[in-house]
Amino acid sequence: MIIQAVLLVHFLLPAQIAASQSSPEAAKLLQSATDAENRGDLEQTIADLRKAVELTPWSAIVLLKLGDAYMRKQDYGEAIPPLKRAAVLSPGSLPAHRSLGYALLSQGYAMEAIPHLEIARESGALGIAQLQTDQPEEAVINLKNALAQNPDDPDLIYYLAKAAAALSSELNERLLAKFPQSARGHQALGQSYYSAKMFLEAEKEYEKAIALRPDLPGLHLELGEIYAASSRWTQAEEQFRSEAKAQPGSAEVAYRLGDALLQEGKMKEAAEELSRSDSLRPDMPETLYALGRALAISDPNAAERALDRVIAVEKQSPLAAQAHLLLAGAHRRQGKPELAARDMEEYKLIHNATSKPEP
Amino acid sequence: MMRICLLSLLFSLCAISPTPRPSPEPRFKLSPAHGIDFVLRNSPTPRKYLIETMPGGVALLDYNNDGLLDIFLVNAGHVADPLLSPVNFDRHDPSYWNRLYRQNKDGTFTDVTVQAGLQNAGDTNYGMGVAVGDYDNDGFPDIYVTNFGRNLLYHNNGDGTFTDVTTKAGVGAGGWSTSAGFFDYDNDGHLDLFVTRYLDWTPEKSKTCGRIAEPMYCPPGEFGPATSILYHNRGNGTFEDVSAASGISAKPGHGLGVAFSDYDGDGFTDIFVANDAIEQFLWHNNGNGTFTEVAFNSGAALSSTGKKLSGMGVVFQDYDNDGLPDLIVTQLPHEPYGVFHNDGKGSFSAQELESGIGALSGNSSGWGIGLEDFDNDGWKDVFIVQGHVFDNVHSYDSSLSYREPPLLALNRNGHFEKGEPGSNLPVVGRGAAFGDLNNDGWVDGVTTSLGERPQLYLNRGGKSHWIAITLRGNRSNRDGYGARVQVNGQVRFATASGSYLSSNDKRLHFGLGSMDTCGIEIRWPSGIRQELRGVKADKFMTIEESEQ
Repeated sequence: MIIQAVLLVHFLLPAQIAASQSSPEAAKLLQSATDAENRGDLEQTIADLRKAVELTPWSAIVLLKLGDAYMRKQDYGEAIPPLKRAAVLSPGSLPAHRSLGYALLSQGYAMEAIPHLEIARESGALGIAQLQTDQPEEAVINLKNALAQNPDDPDLIYYLAKAAAALSSELNERLLAKFPQSARGHQALGQSYYSAKMFLEAEKEYEKAIALRPDLPGLHLELGEIYAASSRWTQAEEQFRSEAKAQPGSAEVAYRLGDALLQEGKMKEAAEELSRSDSLRPDMPETLYALGRALAISDPNAAERALDRVIAVEKQSPLAAQAHLLLAGAHRRQGKPELAARDMEEYKLIHNATSKPEP
Repeated sequence: MMRICLLSLLFSLCAISPTPRPSPEPRFKLSPAHGIDFVLRNSPTPRKYLIETMPGGVALLDYNNDGLLDIFLVNAGHVADPLLSPVNFDRHDPSYWNRLYRQNKDGTFTDVTVQAGLQNAGDTNYGMGVAVGDYDNDGFPDIYVTNFGRNLLYHNNGDGTFTDVTTKAGVGAGGWSTSAGFFDYDNDGHLDLFVTRYLDWTPEKSKTCGRIAEPMYCPPGEFGPATSILYHNRGNGTFEDVSAASGISAKPGHGLGVAFSDYDGDGFTDIFVANDAIEQFLWHNNGNGTFTEVAFNSGAALSSTGKKLSGMGVVFQDYDNDGLPDLIVTQLPHEPYGVFHNDGKGSFSAQELESGIGALSGNSSGWGIGLEDFDNDGWKDVFIVQGHVFDNVHSYDSSLSYREPPLLALNRNGHFEKGEPGSNLPVVGRGAAFGDLNNDGWVDGVTTSLGERPQLYLNRGGKSHWIAITLRGNRSNRDGYGARVQVNGQVRFATASGSYLSSNDKRLHFGLGSMDTCGIEIRWPSGIRQELRGVKADKFMTIEESEQ
């Protein structure tokens, strides 16, 4: 999204400016390139610009136009040489530095991209490059500035979150360097890794925290959630069981354990644990849905009761839609096609009303 | 007294200690394929053209009827950077050819591609999959190759050579074809052809997704859907495109896998299409030349939580020995592979968790799949070849891997448990075909992976009994595709289709456990029923369709 915006600006460079720096023959080629560009024929645009560069190798603007044409073709590798030359010929040209910075960044040369992006004052791309070169503190500052200008840019939001997580990890590492025996320090670092989807690293930190303070509430639960996020359900179950021993009255822990058992296909044990969670805190829709799922095949009547309660609590939410879908299956198996069809209809209505357009 | 106490203490300890479960024996041996030098050359580029990550198929067939399975491998092609129209995938270069390997009596293979006339699959074709069937009932298996481009039908001349009859037969299709399969939808004794197509994609429509400096392949939703094609076999060597008349083209999708079975027992073969990131399609055969898509109301369209599966490969056979064909669909990670249990009366229930498959699959990307009784215990097991779509997936999610080992799930009375495949070699798995390569009575597998040679999984065997049946239709199609075969209570639907882009050994294999005899019941597509009693186990047998 960022690159596209930059290229739009660059292609507003009038052909006349370039033509004023070139020979009549080159001017013709530039005009032809512009016409081809207007027709959407990028191949011809590039061919004309390459010829124009041969005739006017001193023209930074022609080189810039060629580089930008390559970038529009997503041919970032080819864009780099003309853009580098344009930046040398015209060191004050912000567009040349901007395009070169993006081209280098997109080819993985983040360190090389940074000085050009600094000159061009491209704070968003600069922040990304800094993040990729292990400078999270600087990255956070620049990405926040960029986001202030474009608050809805999903790329910027993603990279800021990633930079913040990296910064958080760095700070936690500093904390742990001073206090290596701090279970909370390892837990905090684990949380940072988890939010950055660095599951293996997160797992190691939680293991260290648990080794230091096995009694600390929440550690097994959080480690179990890491395992669950990567579908390692046996290990998740083990952690949730340890947490359930420490917090036998926690409905959430009982739910997590029940859900892990459900994912492992241990339907009977799952139903028991989910029922226990339901008795600890009634009407938690996720618990009731999971209970309905656990009972769907073995006890359709009990499943129906749990799913009816989900619908009563949730009404028109995606979870209510899922409950209707499960109910439809239960009704089909019970030989009640009319009820199944009704539930499928309800599922469709709620699903269509609540589902977001796909990215 | 003291001794008695000690003994009783020992006994009580024994009684309460859980019996240690033996660690599973490796089922397969990853064997060097002597004589096979094929490399699946998909030619990935930094531009992430979506075709690059999708090939390629493998077929196990006995093309020369010598009783030994041969191997046909589909290659992809060279992808120029950038890829411009008119496309040229350099398929004239031998390193991009599809290859046919004839199996020799000593278990080695000889490349007979040129001898068979199967070289150079066309410079404008990027290879995808393969289907095998004897479409002209001459007793020799024919080969259909799918491509991004134009598909190819090779007629087996019966003398070790093939002839490209695509134009005459009228089955070139076009666009981006993926899995295909031969089946007889109207029970007229001639095999028809179903071709799934993936997306409305061209190099011009190609996009790169992901983030700056971390580009990745775009999800299918970025492109338009495509329709599947149904070709009706006229019985004279030509086919008619009946996609519109049959209703198949009324519903475009993102088709990648296809499998056939008669799920409602009405005597007509139905079609399941594994779609990527949309609802799955179950095409019910109405018995009058038309099909109705019924997955949603049958319970086979979505996972149990209402999620759309990223359907890749599929099998349509009975996993729990209740006599009804079920569905298992491989897909991308963070959701289990789909398992749709056939509950009878035309309805399915998503039982990915109950079946045990869920616990074995949540973090993997599955493609080719086989549902075969690998340990001959009378229950069909699952083998899935795995590997992610994105070569840089680890940078997006550190819990995922581009290269993965295969999954072997052993069936214990209808519930799947993790088995030991015999190799944990991580590959970027795609195609998979299954059959008894060395005729020892134990089903083997051949899998493909991007950028590598195929893997041969030779079954280590054991002591259980088995029987393998070759059908020979008379009134029905000669391959007997579409027959329902029941052996000692187990049911198989006769087909070579299923998996992903691939075609299996057409022989029907049944594990018999400790039983050394069996009873066989066949319902042929013609409607003829045939029964054999007291058949000795541990042999290959051909059953010819009776007159009535």
